[in-house]
Amino acid sequence: MGAFTRRETLVTAIGSAFALTAAATRADEPARLTFWTVRLNTPELTRALRGVLADFSRAHPGIEIRQEPVSGNLVYPKFLAAAQGQAMPDIAEAYTYHPLQFAAMGQMEKLDDIIDGWRADGTLANIINEYAYKKFLWQDHYWGVPYNLDIRAIYYRRDLLAAKNIAPPTNWDEFQAAAVALNDPAHGIFGLVFPAGDFHIAQHFYMMFMLQAGGSILDRDGNLVFGTAARDANVAALRYLTDFATKYRVTPPGIAAYNTDDPHTVFLQGRAAFAMGTGGLIGRIQNERPDLESQVGVLPVLQGPAARLTAGFYNPIFVWNGSKAKDAAKTFIRWLVAPGRLEPLYVATAGQLWPVLKTELANGRVQSNRLLNEAATGVIPYTVDFAYPGYGRPEMGVIDGEKMFAGPVNQVVAGRKTPEQAVDDAQAAMAKLFS
Amino acid sequence: MALVSLLNLLPAAQAFLVSLQHQDVAGRTSWIGWANYAAALGRGDPFGPSLAHTIQYTAGSVAGAYLVGLALALLLSADVRCRALLRALFLVPWVIPDVATTMLWKWLYGDQFGILNTLLLRARLIGEPIQFLADPDLAMASVIAVQVWKLYPIMFVTLLAALGNVPPELYEAARLDGAGRARLFWHVTLPLIRPASVVISLLGAIWTFQSFDIVYLLTGGGPADATRVLSTLIYDKAFYATDRGYASAAATLMLAVLMALTVLYLLAYRRDRES
Repeated sequence: MGAFTRRETLVTAIGSAFALTAAATRADEPARLTFWTVRLNTPELTRALRGVLADFSRAHPGIEIRQEPVSGNLVYPKFLAAAQGQAMPDIAEAYTYHPLQFAAMGQMEKLDDIIDGWRADGTLANIINEYAYKKFLWQDHYWGVPYNLDIRAIYYRRDLLAAKNIAPPTNWDEFQAAAVALNDPAHGIFGLVFPAGDFHIAQHFYMMFMLQAGGSILDRDGNLVFGTAARDANVAALRYLTDFATKYRVTPPGIAAYNTDDPHTVFLQGRAAFAMGTGGLIGRIQNERPDLESQVGVLPVLQGPAARLTAGFYNPIFVWNGSKAKDAAKTFIRWLVAPGRLEPLYVATAGQLWPVLKTELANGRVQSNRLLNEAATGVIPYTVDFAYPGYGRPEMGVIDGEKMFAGPVNQVVAGRKTPEQAVDDAQAAMAKLFS
Repeated sequence: MALVSLLNLLPAAQAFLVSLQHQDVAGRTSWIGWANYAAALGRGDPFGPSLAHTIQYTAGSVAGAYLVGLALALLLSADVRCRALLRALFLVPWVIPDVATTMLWKWLYGDQFGILNTLLLRARLIGEPIQFLADPDLAMASVIAVQVWKLYPIMFVTLLAALGNVPPELYEAARLDGAGRARLFWHVTLPLIRPASVVISLLGAIWTFQSFDIVYLLTGGGPADATRVLSTLIYDKAFYATDRGYASAAATLMLAVLMALTVLYLLAYRRDRES
């Protein structure tokens, strides 16, 4: 074999250059991730999220994220169909118990390394409480991590209380007495409004009183105790809540048909002294009734007969175990759940979403806004997961999803069952899941 | 044709297979034979009451929509002014999406400043607001009224066309025999529009029997399960309870009822074409 001719040299050089370029292109191709969002799909949150994702892309040019919204009403059909078809998104944020439900179906990637990293760098200690992340622990692995928080709060009219020399209530007796004293339907004011329709939201406020009464769904070991060891406390809590409608009649008569926004609307119209609502009511007050804002307060969590607690919904973010870019997905999660990264979302809809990191609760935006500050100091520190004191049971997703204790609230308010019957029937339904 | 049949039959066949299984929260499946069907048809199971509610919902909606549609068709078959405009207006409920329909009626039914309660209170016909959606004894009638509003346009259009096909000579002959308006209606109009009436009623029944959106968005199946119909039960069991075996069994039973309605529809349609 002799030396290359000039032509052969040229061809070899061009071919090599092409091969090298192609190889370099493959190595440089960004990791592409699909990110399904369920609770970030309003126009304001979508805009804010796009900004967050753009920031991430600038910081990590080798990772591209395509966000796809999933309607809240289609969460289960969409995810279950995707799981069956092995077409789950690389990353998703969804409802509170989805990671465990999907992990039980063998679809989730373990996120132990993220939790270990957070433990080492102090992030875990900075999370509001241990139930925020322990709820994703199942079979000794973490299947999701918390990235923001939904709250449920009791709002009140400071002016109406002051007019009757009533101090903001701090316990059950005071709250009940205040609602009764302030009920004035002749002048268009109800003592209290809350959603008691056959919708998921109804159970979220029952959870609040259940925890305060010392009741629970699970015990510390994750066993079902809703209608057994915790029955008395759960019945007491259900009776306390529904008595506002059935015994004292201080609520609008139609609350058995109310969904989330109905109590918000009644309160915004200035026709309720107290209202149970989501954190999003703060934003609605500020946007729709700025004239009312100075007259509204966020009631600190009540001291119940057994505890001063309330249910908080720690929203998860999780990774599909079939993703071809798991490392990139985890990089995104580590980047996202860091102080300040999610601030645009919190700004976009005041009060609707909250950080899970304690240090973020004390930032200037929250402290300078009275309502946000009241929620941050009087509600969030007392939040626990609704499975408290238990955790790590995928069945909780079904209990929440099938409205197993929204039904009791609705049935009692509608006059079809007593609190005892409602709790017993709910226990029977839950027991089938755990058997 | 074969492809269409396959696309229809395969999912139904798979659903039937799923109905013979139990699936737990972890997605583990086990064959349990007819147990899901036995559970659905057993005492205390929500399937029975949901089926009863569905029949009530369907019968009430179809009957109500038929009566409204017939009344409007009779009105417009006469010589009235602005007939074209009225015909277009009467079709509006049909084109409004179900979600918008639900929001609209939720406002109408509202216990606080809902239009219906406001008008009734101002007219002093009631002393306090009616709980259209919060009273378990009223909720089904309220939901039926919404479905009647949604369904009457198709009844109206069909019956208007049927009325247009009644030969005017028959009316003349009956008048000559001394028939008044009532007898004309009972002995001429109704018999001649009966084939179209049966066909459109069966079609309305098939649509209503499986309808989901209006009930689910308006009441969620409440209050106290008063409006829980088969479609909402199946949805909750399949996607929230993740009890796909039971949900598939309930859906298969629902399919059996729908098939029976469909066969009746096809027989009626064939008879109508022949006549």
